Amino acid sequence: MSAQPEAELAWVERWNPDPNVRQGLADYPLTGDADVRPVMYNGVGGGLVQWAAMWQTLLASDFRVRTLDGIADDWPIGWDDLADCYAQVARDMSVSGLGGDPALPEMDPYPNPPIPIGKIGQVAAEGMDRLGWHWWPGANAIASRRHGNLQACQRRGTCMIGCPENAKATPSLTHWPSVQAAGARLVTGARVTEIPVDERGRVRGAAYLDRDGVEHFQPAQVVMLAANAVGTARLLLLSASPRFPDGLANSSGLVGRRLMQHPYRTVTVVCEDPLDSWQGPWGQVIYSLEFAETHPDRDFVRGAKWMVMPHGGPMFAAAEYQEAHRHDGFEAVWGANFHRAADEVFGRAFTWGIQAEDLPEDDNRVTLDPTMCDSSGLPAAHVEYRVSENTRRMLDFNVARAVEAAEASGAVSTLVRDVWPTGIGHVLGTTRMGNDPQTSVVDRWCRAHDVPNLYVIDGGVFVTGGSANPTATIMANALRVTDHLIEARASQEIPA
Amino acid sequence: MSGSGPTPAQRLTLDRLADVLVPEGRNMPAASTVGVSEGLLDRFLDAAPALAEPLLSLLDEAPAEGLDAFVRHLASQRPGDFGVLSTTVVGAYYLSAEVRRLIGYPGQQPNPLSVASEPDYLDMLERVHERHPGYRECS
Repeated sequence: MSAQPEAELAWVERWNPDPNVRQGLADYPLTGDADVRPVMYNGVGGGLVQWAAMWQTLLASDFRVRTLDGIADDWPIGWDDLADCYAQVARDMSVSGLGGDPALPEMDPYPNPPIPIGKIGQVAAEGMDRLGWHWWPGANAIASRRHGNLQACQRRGTCMIGCPENAKATPSLTHWPSVQAAGARLVTGARVTEIPVDERGRVRGAAYLDRDGVEHFQPAQVVMLAANAVGTARLLLLSASPRFPDGLANSSGLVGRRLMQHPYRTVTVVCEDPLDSWQGPWGQVIYSLEFAETHPDRDFVRGAKWMVMPHGGPMFAAAEYQEAHRHDGFEAVWGANFHRAADEVFGRAFTWGIQAEDLPEDDNRVTLDPTMCDSSGLPAAHVEYRVSENTRRMLDFNVARAVEAAEASGAVSTLVRDVWPTGIGHVLGTTRMGNDPQTSVVDRWCRAHDVPNLYVIDGGVFVTGGSANPTATIMANALRVTDHLIEARASQEIPA
Repeated sequence: MSGSGPTPAQRLTLDRLADVLVPEGRNMPAASTVGVSEGLLDRFLDAAPALAEPLLSLLDEAPAEGLDAFVRHLASQRPGDFGVLSTTVVGAYYLSAEVRRLIGYPGQQPNPLSVASEPDYLDMLERVHERHPGYRECS
């Protein structure tokens, strides 16, 4: 569909990022009262199927938030613990980018040169240059030239609904071919219902239903969970047993708590000259870390990352225009004014996306819904989530600066949106990593404190959210953990 | 598209509702004149089949007269239903080849990029380096 004229329509339903709208076979309902409702993709490849492929490491300071800024918690690991793995997963994912950003620690060069920043990146960068603010060409897991199993990007701009050129990194291209060739068996259409334990409290494997609803059990010596911070928390809570009455690996009571999502606002920059801004890729063209760190003169701690993206086709341009004018009444966007979106915005605009560092709060949490179930009869995920005052102040400040950046880029107008009510697919923090079993779910090797052969390797282990897109860190950490598991396999406890 | 699809009466109603949202503009045709209730609607519903049922219900509910007020009522009081109608109209409208030609939209076409030449922003990046204090040390 992404190569068809109907490409934009894919978002309406089949490729809508919200599982409650999409209602795919593998999706489960999300209920609850959330300022930002999580979005996700459920299927082989998970979040890396429907993603914009933005590639960003955390800041070095993100691992030391308590020490540096006196808030939240430090991670039990630091940037240096991930450095080699960051480099390896960038190669595995055929990342295109330019090293040398002074806002980040030094790292190995990316395997592919950066994707040209194009007209929109040039205009945005010139604005930042005039203001003396930080910017850098965006790194993306999109191949700028043929690399590995990926073809070169053709700039279709359909990254979020599937790349017909196979230029965007996704596990079906980057990982599964070699994993299957090595002998792994992939069971599609399976829905895990429980992680059962033996009499000593070791996990025994995974119980699951196949696509026909038939029950199976896959025994395992070690179980590694990567169902995202909503799905993994849900599965651990579903796996309550007499030995673990509050849910598996939940003696701390923290499974499902501290959900973080990077609340997101946008400033769309409307320019006078044509920018061909329906063209992709829909990754980050450039990014800025100018306001990503704590500053003593601001009324909030930590910061936000900005990134420039195209606005997509005319339907998206119209939606952006309508959303920005939602409080201005019917006449502002419909009837005689409908065509203003195409006249003024389409092809002449780009968007500064602003994602706020989200600090952990115990009451932002995932639980099991008491009544709503998925199509297999398993309880839905119930999400309670509030955007904190710190985050709202942070976003207000950054939006005001982004409007200044727009003006410095020569904008004729801006379209400013409030906090998006649906998330951007960054779900983090519900099984946090830490050294203390009373205040964390997994240890520094992401092994459950309570269950020695159970690991979590998704974004749930994040201690704080940072402001960076999390995929690079999730993957680097998963590689770090897996390398250690292999290294220490002789001492790994397994079920009887 | 599944089922029997919209009836001629429902298509006619959609044309009239669509023109409230997307009337003729400077150099731009009204929604009804490009066929949003015809083949474009069918293509839209093929791409978004779950919207068919709520859309057709809405079309059946629309009054014979006062469609302008009906649309405004949906917009102010029934945002979910208004979303179904407006998404359908806008989605179908921008599928029109004529509309795309008029706004200069070729679709999400392939457009190979070149990374062979040196980017022309390097001087700006030098200035980023010169003024940046470096990343925040944590040890």
